[in-house]
Amino acid sequence: MIDEKYINNGPDAPLAIEPYDRVWGVGISGLTVNPSPFPRINKMLDWLKNLDSTADSQRAMIVTECDKKYAMYPQNIKWALTLRELYERVKINIWDDELIVGELVAPPNSAPIYPEFSIDWLVEEFRERPMDQRKNDRYVVSQDVIDDVYSIQDYWKGKTVSEAAIASYTEEELKGSHLGKCIALESLFMYAGVGHVTANYERLLSIGFGGIREQVLEQMAKLDHTNPDDNLKEEFYKAELIMIEGASTYIRRYGLLAREKADIEKDPVRKAELERVSANCLQVAEGPARDFWEAIQLWHIATNMIIVETNGHSVTYGRFDKIFYPYYKKDVETGNLTREFMQELIEHSFCKMHQLRKIRDTAAITFSSGTIMGGTALDVGGVDENGDDITNDVSYMVLDAHAHTRIPNPWMGVRLHENSPKEFKIKTFNVIRIGTGEPKIFNDKPMIESLMRNGKTLEEARGYVGVGCVEPSIPGKTYGWHDSGSFNLAKTVQLSLNHGRCIDCSESCERYSKCAGAGLSLGPDSGGLDTFESFEDVKKSFEIQMEYWCGQMIAMINKIDIAQQRLKPLPYLSLLIDGCIEKGMDVTRGGALYNHSGPQGVGIGTAADSLTAVKQVVFDEKRVTGAELLDALKKNWEGYEPLYAYVNSDRVHHYGNDDDYADEIAHYVMATYCKNIENRPTPHGGTYMPGVFSVTNNVMHGTVTAATPDGRKAYEPVSDCLGPVHTQCCSHDTCGPTAVALSAAKLDHSRIGNGIILNWKFSPTAVSGDTGRDNLIGLMDTYFEHDGMQSQFSIVGREMMLAAQKEPEKYKDLLVRIAGYSAYFVELSTELQNDLIGRTELSFD
Amino acid sequence: MLHKNAAGEPVGLITNIQRYTIHDGPGIRTEIFFKGCTMHCLWCSNPETISPKRELGIYPSKCMTEGKCSWCVRACPRGKELIKFDAEGLVSFIEKDGGCADCMKCADECPNHAIKSWGEEKTLKELMRVIKSDESFYRRTGGGVTLNGGEVLLQWEFARELLKACKEAGINTCVETALCVPSEHMEAVYEFTDLVITDIKHMDPETHKKLTGRSNELILENIRRTAELGKKLVIRTPVIHGYNNDEENIRKTGEFLRNELGGNIVAYQLLPYRRMGTEKYESLRTPYPFEDYKAPEREVWEKDLLKLADILRTEFDLPAVAGSSGKLDVEL
Repeated sequence: MIDEKYINNGPDAPLAIEPYDRVWGVGISGLTVNPSPFPRINKMLDWLKNLDSTADSQRAMIVTECDKKYAMYPQNIKWALTLRELYERVKINIWDDELIVGELVAPPNSAPIYPEFSIDWLVEEFRERPMDQRKNDRYVVSQDVIDDVYSIQDYWKGKTVSEAAIASYTEEELKGSHLGKCIALESLFMYAGVGHVTANYERLLSIGFGGIREQVLEQMAKLDHTNPDDNLKEEFYKAELIMIEGASTYIRRYGLLAREKADIEKDPVRKAELERVSANCLQVAEGPARDFWEAIQLWHIATNMIIVETNGHSVTYGRFDKIFYPYYKKDVETGNLTREFMQELIEHSFCKMHQLRKIRDTAAITFSSGTIMGGTALDVGGVDENGDDITNDVSYMVLDAHAHTRIPNPWMGVRLHENSPKEFKIKTFNVIRIGTGEPKIFNDKPMIESLMRNGKTLEEARGYVGVGCVEPSIPGKTYGWHDSGSFNLAKTVQLSLNHGRCIDCSESCERYSKCAGAGLSLGPDSGGLDTFESFEDVKKSFEIQMEYWCGQMIAMINKIDIAQQRLKPLPYLSLLIDGCIEKGMDVTRGGALYNHSGPQGVGIGTAADSLTAVKQVVFDEKRVTGAELLDALKKNWEGYEPLYAYVNSDRVHHYGNDDDYADEIAHYVMATYCKNIENRPTPHGGTYMPGVFSVTNNVMHGTVTAATPDGRKAYEPVSDCLGPVHTQCCSHDTCGPTAVALSAAKLDHSRIGNGIILNWKFSPTAVSGDTGRDNLIGLMDTYFEHDGMQSQFSIVGREMMLAAQKEPEKYKDLLVRIAGYSAYFVELSTELQNDLIGRTELSFD
Repeated sequence: MLHKNAAGEPVGLITNIQRYTIHDGPGIRTEIFFKGCTMHCLWCSNPETISPKRELGIYPSKCMTEGKCSWCVRACPRGKELIKFDAEGLVSFIEKDGGCADCMKCADECPNHAIKSWGEEKTLKELMRVIKSDESFYRRTGGGVTLNGGEVLLQWEFARELLKACKEAGINTCVETALCVPSEHMEAVYEFTDLVITDIKHMDPETHKKLTGRSNELILENIRRTAELGKKLVIRTPVIHGYNNDEENIRKTGEFLRNELGGNIVAYQLLPYRRMGTEKYESLRTPYPFEDYKAPEREVWEKDLLKLADILRTEFDLPAVAGSSGKLDVEL
């Protein structure tokens, strides 16, 4: 079943089927045929890679029908009834070779449709921009599905979450929104659901849905039916009970189907597998998981149901090695399952994640392409509640599973701390050096500190998981609204240098007549480069704009939050997040133990280098006047070529070079963002937390931002995540990776409650050999010693990416790191490909 | 040669400071490149380090033209007298003999580095500030400082002070030198040196002279002396196909190391030739001696390196490896 050479026999080595120091190659990415030792996995990978992405209308049609049928019920009961009916009626399948079953109420690689959030955009895409014509994120949608969607559009008019949210915006809020000048991109959780959450898997696996039913009944028994608050709770609990029935039904149906298939199966091996799959499903439909296989089955399908309900992405799979080690240990000890078979199950579960789909609109796939489902995050390593290392065999097996699959799912995170085993780091960095961009690494210390600064105990904080891209979250206890917005710091700097007006303000702007044309400005007039007398004036102006625009963003996110609460309760998710059952409150309304909302600041490098350039060039050196610099920006540097070269050169201080002059300004920008975000209340009973990462929004924010003083030309991407600036002209970090690490670490990471990303790009030669490996580990250890929070790596040579642009057909499996995630390079939009190629490549030849 | 700055302080004439180098000594290192060399190897990829004086490099393709920019002309005390532009308005030449005060203002001011000053005077304090900033990385990885060149020992007095300051700060030190220098300069620097990296480019004195401009006797003598002093030593040979890749030469090298040094070296690294630095030759208006040299394909030189390393390992029991990315097993 498995090639002998994969068996790891060393007496002291951590037990996985691969040696801990196996080297798979450097910078070769996914370009390896049959990466897995398991033929079943290779076959599944081939199958999935060649299967078109499609859309499926079953969810949309059943939900629409139920919305009418159950209209008389309270929202939460209506939705529980709707989902139960969906799980009773939707067509289900079991596919060849599957050991873990369960779909997304749609076949593999097919996206369900969620009309309750928004539907008009989908109709518009179908009409105007056929999805099979897309260059990337292509979907082949059948005419039947298209017709189905057309047929329900009218029904949903005025009923969707997005319409409710937008209707509640004021004119003033609209101007900076995604419908205006995009200073704050607030709309992510409006056209779709929130997601960004991790279930309490330990509770579910140990007691099953049946056990959760007992928990609900226990609370229900305490209700006082004469108390109006309790009357509302009773509705909530009724919804929960209906929902448990729905979930159990869905799982049980797979159990029955597996039995049917087993009955007619001729191959005795497959027959036995199907019988076991059937038994697994029938057990976990209500009961607890009793071994590794049952546990992975329940974990998988329970997560799918969160996605089916919420339409959210970044539904996170938790700390895999912590959740699964007890099952693994018992099964190895009793001989119930072999280590090799459990390895195969892990790889299989990755393939199952890789089948999930979410359709996004054209704008989203231009800037954030290749995400497939998005946010299938899963972590390994780190400490337990006492601070002791938890790394175990399963941690190694999960890393091997990525080396064996090389697909961009799950979005894997490795938690590291001072006492992480050396072998584990070697395994981690050998996987990183393959060059697929997986896994990212977290530093426990600042992650834990950030959680404690946001109200968690030390013991709880130690149990964190990185939700979605990187957001620190207490699994099973948090409804974090992580990634609730994306704030354009670069554009805000611009407005603060030009009297609250866009640098490219002109009559061609569709807002012109109600803005500059009417003698007004977009933001408050806080002065401009032509009036400032000192750098202090610049800072004052920046602070005025920040306060104003952050406030606008918060107001809009609040309104989306309220719309979600009113229209889209989540009875299923409420079963799996601690606090909801105890409080008798839906998760959307604040049922979870911890509630947050985390909008990201984007373009910190661009903002910092812009303010730095103003300080140095205008006020310290007086090389040009403020008015001249403003004119240069308005003219997109035309006629100012020497100045453009100068601000891009190493003569001007830049963030990312371990240079306090610029780094202090980066710190100031970040602190200003934090001050305007942190600790504000959210409508669902929590607090706001700032994040500093862009994912790919730096490209999008760039397209609405004219030239900036750092030497960026109009509409180029702004800087990504925590990274230094790279403009069309050059990269601003010129002192190598230690300087980048020291600059980045000067910022106070533990203040960033919603997480940080720092992208590193190394040429393969820079990290090859044991020297390359150990110094890369040393570089990261030291960055973490300086309290850097997170790192992720792109180890694919620029040449390979350029070659892939030329001959995409040869590089179909070239997986690269984007931001919070990895994706297939040839499936990215050209804009994003170019942004990746442009990031500083650290090479030490 | 001890340089002093305008204030009379001792300075090093430095062409480059590179942080995070990982191939010249163990761990993560900061590498300082000194200007001035005693040799001029045909394949040298750092021609800007050969002359012991500050030089100006000109990169016309980076110039934004006199018409659009002319910041250099405005900066130069003699203005247009010394800075020459071609027909397209690109900077092409600086008449250093026409009364240039060597102030480097043109280079300092050029926003695009079309005029580049090779060789900056750096005080001990300035260098130590940069070196110390990566201390925590050295500590984690066993790294430290590597002085390189050019020939760092041409500025041995300053180098000695710098190495001493590093040792006082608890930072390990490595010197990469061609060792074609008086042995007393070498020994003066060794007092504060933990690891020496040097080359044996050829064993035949005549051929060595043809390839590098200098005979190898002094070098070999200094290598012997280095070993006698008990210094940890890494030997390298840049393997140039057609010049020194023959087995006879490598066997002679192996014999020398075995017979004279008792094979007592940390590592022997065989490095491939890479055609690099040609744009720097152009900027200095110096012809690249290897302009017409045709390097063999990768697979050919890779085989060369592996074969030679194998001879050194099996016949001479030397710790020989191809390339410099194998881990250097040495604690400093």
